Amino acid sequence: MKKIEAIVQPFKLEEVKEALKAIGIDGMTITEVRGHGRQKGHKEVYRGQEYNVDLLPKVKIEMVVPTARSEEVIRTLAAAARTGNIGDGKIFTYDVAEAIRIRNEDRGESAL
Amino acid sequence: MTGNAASAVLGRSTFVDQLVTHAFRTHLAPAFAHGMSVLAVGGYGRRELFPYSDVDLLLLVDKEVQGDTQREALSAFLRSMWDKGLRLSQSVRTVAECCQFDQSNVELSISLIDQRFLIGDHDLYDLLAAKLPKFFRSNRTNLIKHLIKLTNQRHAKFHDTIYHLEPNIKETPGGMRDLQVVNWLNRLRSSDADVDSSLREAREFLSAIRCKLHYKTGRDSNILTFDLQEELAEDAASWMREYYRHARDIHRCAKRQMEASEQISEGGLAKQFREWRSRLSNADFTVSRDRVFFRAPQQIASDPALVLRLFEFVARHGIRLSLEAERRVRDHKLYLEEYFASSRPLWQTLKSLLLLPNAALALRAMHETGLLQIIIPVWEQIECLVVRDFYHRYTVDEHTLVTLEYLEELKATKDAGRRRFRELLGETQDLPLLFMALIFHDLGKSDGMEGHAVASARVAERVLDRMQMPESERRTVLFLIEHHLDLSAIMNSRDLNDPTTASELAARVETLENLKLLALMTYSDISAVNPDAMTPWRLEQLWRTYIVGYRELTRDLDTERIHVPTKDEKATFLEGFPTRYLRTHTEDQIRQHMQLKQVADENGVAMSLQRHNGVFTLTVVTRDRPNLFAALAGTISSFGMNILKAEAFANQKGDVLDTFSFSDPMRTLELNPAESDRLKSMIRRAVLGKEDVQRLLRGRAKPAAPSKRAEVRPTVAFDGEASESATLVEIVAEDRPGLLYDLASTISSAGCSIDVVLIDTEAHKALDVFYITKDGAKLTPDLHDDLRSQILVVCNN
Repeated sequence: MKKIEAIVQPFKLEEVKEALKAIGIDGMTITEVRGHGRQKGHKEVYRGQEYNVDLLPKVKIEMVVPTARSEEVIRTLAAAARTGNIGDGKIFTYDVAEAIRIRNEDRGESAL
Repeated sequence: MTGNAASAVLGRSTFVDQLVTHAFRTHLAPAFAHGMSVLAVGGYGRRELFPYSDVDLLLLVDKEVQGDTQREALSAFLRSMWDKGLRLSQSVRTVAECCQFDQSNVELSISLIDQRFLIGDHDLYDLLAAKLPKFFRSNRTNLIKHLIKLTNQRHAKFHDTIYHLEPNIKETPGGMRDLQVVNWLNRLRSSDADVDSSLREAREFLSAIRCKLHYKTGRDSNILTFDLQEELAEDAASWMREYYRHARDIHRCAKRQMEASEQISEGGLAKQFREWRSRLSNADFTVSRDRVFFRAPQQIASDPALVLRLFEFVARHGIRLSLEAERRVRDHKLYLEEYFASSRPLWQTLKSLLLLPNAALALRAMHETGLLQIIIPVWEQIECLVVRDFYHRYTVDEHTLVTLEYLEELKATKDAGRRRFRELLGETQDLPLLFMALIFHDLGKSDGMEGHAVASARVAERVLDRMQMPESERRTVLFLIEHHLDLSAIMNSRDLNDPTTASELAARVETLENLKLLALMTYSDISAVNPDAMTPWRLEQLWRTYIVGYRELTRDLDTERIHVPTKDEKATFLEGFPTRYLRTHTEDQIRQHMQLKQVADENGVAMSLQRHNGVFTLTVVTRDRPNLFAALAGTISSFGMNILKAEAFANQKGDVLDTFSFSDPMRTLELNPAESDRLKSMIRRAVLGKEDVQRLLRGRAKPAAPSKRAEVRPTVAFDGEASESATLVEIVAEDRPGLLYDLASTISSAGCSIDVVLIDTEAHKALDVFYITKDGAKLTPDLHDDLRSQILVVCNN
């Protein structure tokens, strides 16, 4: 099993969710986060005053999928989240040791 | 068991009585010949035992339980009750212990209010029964204080609102516990008010639900979950609406009891404050103990406007209505309905109310007395209306009132993220319109969620028409209602860096004022969904969306010129003005400006001077000439006026339209009507170059500078990129009389011409943006430093 963690632009969330749904991925955790990568943030001038915009709003999507599906999920996710501009975000994957459904203690991929 | 919860709880209570009596005889009587009696307390004492409620027992003893026999008997008694499946909650006390006030166990004292003798040593019980009334009397203040504190703590746990989508019907505000609080306080105060019968219906409703919940879950569970709502009611949404109505009645009654009781337990300082406030009494109303009363309530019938003055009073002073005043308003419902049924200029009254510091409080009071519904009959359709989604915590009416409160709170916010929105609030003149838009924004939800914004606007149109709101204001309110979801949609689903997002947003909001109002509306609307809805994340997104629109509406449009292919009168007038002109002016204003232009064509100069909400607006239309803007600014300052905002526009034919908003701190114009004419004639002379403005300004005293801490360090920034044809000079400086004149003449005497000027002030800070050119082109960068130092010199003067 792989855990896939993606940081994407907020306005891409719906598109990403739709795309994942289309390939049968429904379960995910979504968090509203703020941060910056190499995009760094920038200064904004509003009425002569400078505001530092160093933490930009982003959305974090997390899900755990069977290893066999992870490449497909990553491709789908990247395609849906891409605008081609700086700030599109990143995807990280991790190996998952175990998944346990609390209700009945199902284990492994059947618990996903 | 649908019909009669009362008999069910009574039935269980009687049944448990028998069990206790039997167990006492079997286990306790042999060991305690005397000196032991069993009392039912709490809910059991009131004979209200819900199917799975705990059974509260007080074992009253004459002295501490001693010896193995007695101890063994006691455990056998308790065990036998447990074995019968009862969840016991017992305490063993002596009479003296019962009559002792223990701060850490106030609940015990309170549970004694509902005590009831079951079995055992009756003489011992009589001893307690004789002492209890005195105990309650002498500890009344303390008990009330603690009971109120406990209740407030419990309410705070539920965010002080009855409107939970999955309420705990026992503990939430407006739940069964509040019913008990009402009774306890009433009895502690030895008040003979009959609070119980007014809440009978609510009590029966809640009791029935609680019984059903216990039966369904098989335990003492009081949370009315979505699933259980579906199971218990055919139409869950309207059934919940009924629940909220009852909970609201109970909650209100509890609040009132608490308020009335607090007066008994209140200390000296608070009392002094209240007495000070009672000095606010006037010819119509008295203030007593921090509540408003009618002086002559019988006059409502002949003078229904008295009721409006009441709420105006609330909005002005932030003092709540007395129960008495609330009742009087409700009692006159028919008179008021008749009075407000015909179309009358209600808007003027309402508008001045909405400008007062506690407008949201007044609107809530209007809601609670039913007046809001009388003025806006469709309001009834959203009363207690439940929107079943997982985001909204409140019913639609409550959500609406909470949006108003968030908007009002914003005025005083210190929070860094919200301060930016507070500044927007300070800049708008249209707060009353914003309040109106918020009141109506979700009224369309009664016909379903789909397209509710448009439906709400349709509903509002009819009501605003009857209130006789002028066309231009009505347009703004309807615009806001109809577009109240737009910014949310953009911030959630559009790429804010995409130029088309900006241009579409600008096209949709049309004017900067609309954008500001919409941003504030969105702020309030999201905040009022639930207490956690406005995350720093959303706040940042909303602000970024505002900035995107602001940029588009101000920057690019300042130099982009209007070009209309048709050649009617309006098109000719607009031709060549910056696009921004259209974005910042209403149709009415443009029409007035066109009339001024006609006059100017004949006389060389035309102007209008208007007063609105204490701010004067002077509009001047004439032909451009060097140093004109500075001359106007200087003349206005020479009259002691404080310029708050200014805008200068020139079209390519050389027509100039300059607008100045200024306050009149010395009330010169107000007190000397002749001065207005003198100001106008002086302006005329200045425009025609017949007046030496420098000379006019000489001899005007400088006002005292604000405290050191408030001092503004002047900054001057040049921007050669923002506009296609002009250089932007952004100046931030300490505001002072004549500053604008000095800045403008410094720029003019450097040989630059001023295309567009945007001036704003915030407290002592002036924010001035000049769009300047030299010989028809942007300034070359080598000129920047020189001009900057000249400007800084006048800023520091």
